[in-house]
Amino acid sequence: MTRMVTVNLKINGKQYSEEAEPRLLLVHFIRDALKLKGTHIGCDTGHCGACTILWDGKPVKSCQILAVQAEGANIMTVEGLEPEDGKLSIEQESFRENFAQQCGYCTPGFLMMTRYLIRNNEEMTREEIREKLHGNYCMCTGYQQIVDAVQDAQRKYFATKK
Amino acid sequence: MTSQKSSTESLVLQSEKGTKQNVGKRVPRIEDLRIVKGKAGYTDDIEMADQHYAAFLFSPYAHARIKSIDVSKALELPGVSLVITGKDIKELTKPMSSRAATKSPTSHYILAVDKVRYMGEPVAAVVARSKYVAADAAELIEVEYEPLKVVASIEDAMKKDAPLIYPELDTNEMISDHFDFGDVKKAFSEADKIVKERIRIHRYASTPLETFVVNAYYDPTREELTIYASDQQPGRTVQSVERTIGIPSSRIHLIVPPVGGGFGYKLAIWQYVALASLMSKMVGKPVKWVQTRTESLYAFHRPRGYMDAEFALRKDGKVLGMKLVDWQADANWPYVAALYSLIKFANMSGTYEIRNYSFEYHCVATNDPPIVQDRGVGKPFMAFALERMMDFSADALGIDRVKIRQVNSVPAEKMPYTAGSGEVYESGNYPEAIRRALEHSQFQKKLEEQAKFRKEGRYVGIGIATGIEPGTSNLGYYFLSKAGDPDYNGAGQMATVEVAADGVVKVNMNGPEIGTGHVTTIAQVVADVFGITPEEVNVDAWYDSIHGHLTYAGTYSNAFNDVYLGAVLTASNQLKDKILNIASSLLKEDREELYLANNYICKLENDKEKRLVGLKEIARISYGRLLSFPKGEEPGLKVTAGYINRTAKPFVRSDFNVQLTHSNSVHVCFVEVFPENWNIKILDYAIVHDAGKVINPGIVDGLAIGSTVSGIGGALYEEFVFDEQGTNLSLTFGDYLKPTAMESPEIRVDQMESPAPNTVLGTKAVGEGGAITSLAAVAGAVEDALKPFNVKITGLPITPEKIWNMVKDTPEYKKINKEGQ
Ligand code: FES
Ligand code: FES
Repeated sequence: MTRMVTVNLKINGKQYSEEAEPRLLLVHFIRDALKLKGTHIGCDTGHCGACTILWDGKPVKSCQILAVQAEGANIMTVEGLEPEDGKLSIEQESFRENFAQQCGYCTPGFLMMTRYLIRNNEEMTREEIREKLHGNYCMCTGYQQIVDAVQDAQRKYFATKK
Repeated sequence: MTSQKSSTESLVLQSEKGTKQNVGKRVPRIEDLRIVKGKAGYTDDIEMADQHYAAFLFSPYAHARIKSIDVSKALELPGVSLVITGKDIKELTKPMSSRAATKSPTSHYILAVDKVRYMGEPVAAVVARSKYVAADAAELIEVEYEPLKVVASIEDAMKKDAPLIYPELDTNEMISDHFDFGDVKKAFSEADKIVKERIRIHRYASTPLETFVVNAYYDPTREELTIYASDQQPGRTVQSVERTIGIPSSRIHLIVPPVGGGFGYKLAIWQYVALASLMSKMVGKPVKWVQTRTESLYAFHRPRGYMDAEFALRKDGKVLGMKLVDWQADANWPYVAALYSLIKFANMSGTYEIRNYSFEYHCVATNDPPIVQDRGVGKPFMAFALERMMDFSADALGIDRVKIRQVNSVPAEKMPYTAGSGEVYESGNYPEAIRRALEHSQFQKKLEEQAKFRKEGRYVGIGIATGIEPGTSNLGYYFLSKAGDPDYNGAGQMATVEVAADGVVKVNMNGPEIGTGHVTTIAQVVADVFGITPEEVNVDAWYDSIHGHLTYAGTYSNAFNDVYLGAVLTASNQLKDKILNIASSLLKEDREELYLANNYICKLENDKEKRLVGLKEIARISYGRLLSFPKGEEPGLKVTAGYINRTAKPFVRSDFNVQLTHSNSVHVCFVEVFPENWNIKILDYAIVHDAGKVINPGIVDGLAIGSTVSGIGGALYEEFVFDEQGTNLSLTFGDYLKPTAMESPEIRVDQMESPAPNTVLGTKAVGEGGAITSLAAVAGAVEDALKPFNVKITGLPITPEKIWNMVKDTPEYKKINKEGQ
């Protein structure tokens, strides 16, 4: 029988304590043990960004990390974006208004990147946004409407700061 | 006051009085509310009780005999409940057969039996309690292979002593044929000039971000197979599962949750659906398989091949005739062999009036992995070859590349136009599309900029290409075993529309939702029929075979805007009619004066809307209060209706009718090539796209842009590379390069609307256009940028290395490198 390790971490403000095999990937832990299905898997090599989460506010590809390494971590997944009032977050709203998703499989990863980028950058040009998104693949949209959405989200975010 | 006519007489959409029209509006997508919350619910998000997992062992060889398989170590691993190999499969299943090719091998099964024919072919399968254990067990299976001589190319395959992929066929050529339309001989004898070239296409593929996922459970108590799968063509899958593993289709319940990208790739999942289903039946547990990315890159691509093209030209640019001979390596999976050829040739003359042409095709089995009907199927290569030949022809005659396209375009007054092949272009205005593209792209200004940049020593070029984007497959493959009226056809669909007991209008998707906005598009259309808002329409994003289900149901071949909407409208109109009949009889009101608006049955009184009764009340009566229910009507408010596009013709060899609607586009691409590293940057990209009536511009623009970027990927970056042993060297996204946001250009789309006369709303194909037209636009632009080097681009992808190889011995290269020293 494989040795199991208990992993304690915080996701979207909630404390979790679950058993994991030492070799279990964080993304599988999030999806299969914690049943948070919004974080997706699009490759196994760290290229596509579908598994992007925020770890202490910074984007991390959760397929490149073991669950046991996340002991004590403070993580946010797409399920944590939505404000409690049931409305959409700025990022979610901008993605919807700009038709930034087709199949939507890449969307959670892009949303997490957007949350990070709009808060940690001065106003970005489209070119800059494109550069900063190069670690996230979308096979459907051709990215243009995603860039629209990120720009829009940053505008909206700055407006709340005024 | 005019009374509204019953809409059952005509399918044309008539917005009810007093309500807002939704068709044509940029309605935010309803499905996005779930998607942005991470709650779309893809197949892998579903778990069944006592879930078990499958893993496969895939062949590392492209061609080898399987000498022995030892599964004992795998079976000993705790948690493993089943291991199967080709031996079991041969006993328990029937081989895959050809669907379109006239020859059908008898030795290709859903798991390799006795020999492997491509790298990545499944050789053995495992079921275990967890996915990690399943993967471990697959690695413990020991297979002894005896490598066979690899057939690595079409040339290899056609050699006299070539090893046979299917020995039972006595040849590697699955099908070939030769056609003549018009008077080709005369055209060539009258030509002022003849231009000849071999144009090549490489192996590339759409790679949906979600891979294959299947979860199957055979319930022995009900003797029913329930399957969840990321499947694009569930109607066909049910048939294939029945045929291979023998579970009757009436006992198969197939559900398709939202799919994380289809692009044709997910038409091929059925082989794994059959395997998971069989294994579930064997172990009595639900069996799930989630393909890894590497596994997804093994197979199901576009075929590589080439076309020898010869054009007979008149001085002014008119193409008098063409001769085309096409070879493709597409036959190493009997199921889809030969599908590319006819889709290619039915529309081979593109947007041009070319009356005399011959074509010949050869579909060849090699050890290349299987292909699938990837986005646009044969059409991207068709357009690439045709448009490259247009460029070469213009150059040879010394006329302008735009001019030659204008000279040859089918004149607007000749629409509807029947191409030489018999394919009917029902609508479009190709000369106008070119005119608009020149304007929209600011072509003249681009030429001036180019002249300026060239003087500065910068390599900037412009490419233009036109393309046909056919939709709705009539599956008109003349060579099918049952010509004329075969057992399946894509020109129809079914749909179910109901007003549920709570008064809510509900629609069942008859095809999987693969990301193309069908939920919202349907909601817009149905909202207009019932006089409500799109948000009020409950469109189920899940395909479920228990609803109306034709044996070819699926989301493919750009058919949604035609037959799906046709079926949804047919069912909606029938249901509306029924509701108004019931209301008229209950209220004792004149049926002709009643209409639906904002969830009420209304009529106009002194030009003012009067609400007579709520839709909810009619639902309550129709489902429950049956004593008040009008005589002569059936209880319930649910209609399942079918729809057929009646312009579908039977298939005959001399009169093609492969697809039923024809969108078109013109792409103008502006690029710069940098001599430091031969990288290419797209500076501007403009599209005029005509897909007939547009229901939601936000969705249609997105599909035009997305499909174009997928084509740009194929033109500049993506290629599956194989060594001489048939080893696939492109098994991660580190080696198989997809365009990211950084490489993708800003694309400007101008939607033109030439409504189709043969679809209910005038809508036409939308999802493939960019993938078809972009290859040649990009190639033309790069070639133009490199004009000082005098190179010719006849194949893709155009990588920096290839450019360097083309330019390195040219005088221009020597000149700039001397200057640089
Ligand atoms: S799944 Fe993590 S980067 Fe692709
Ligand atoms: S929307 Fe499908 S992968 Fe991005």
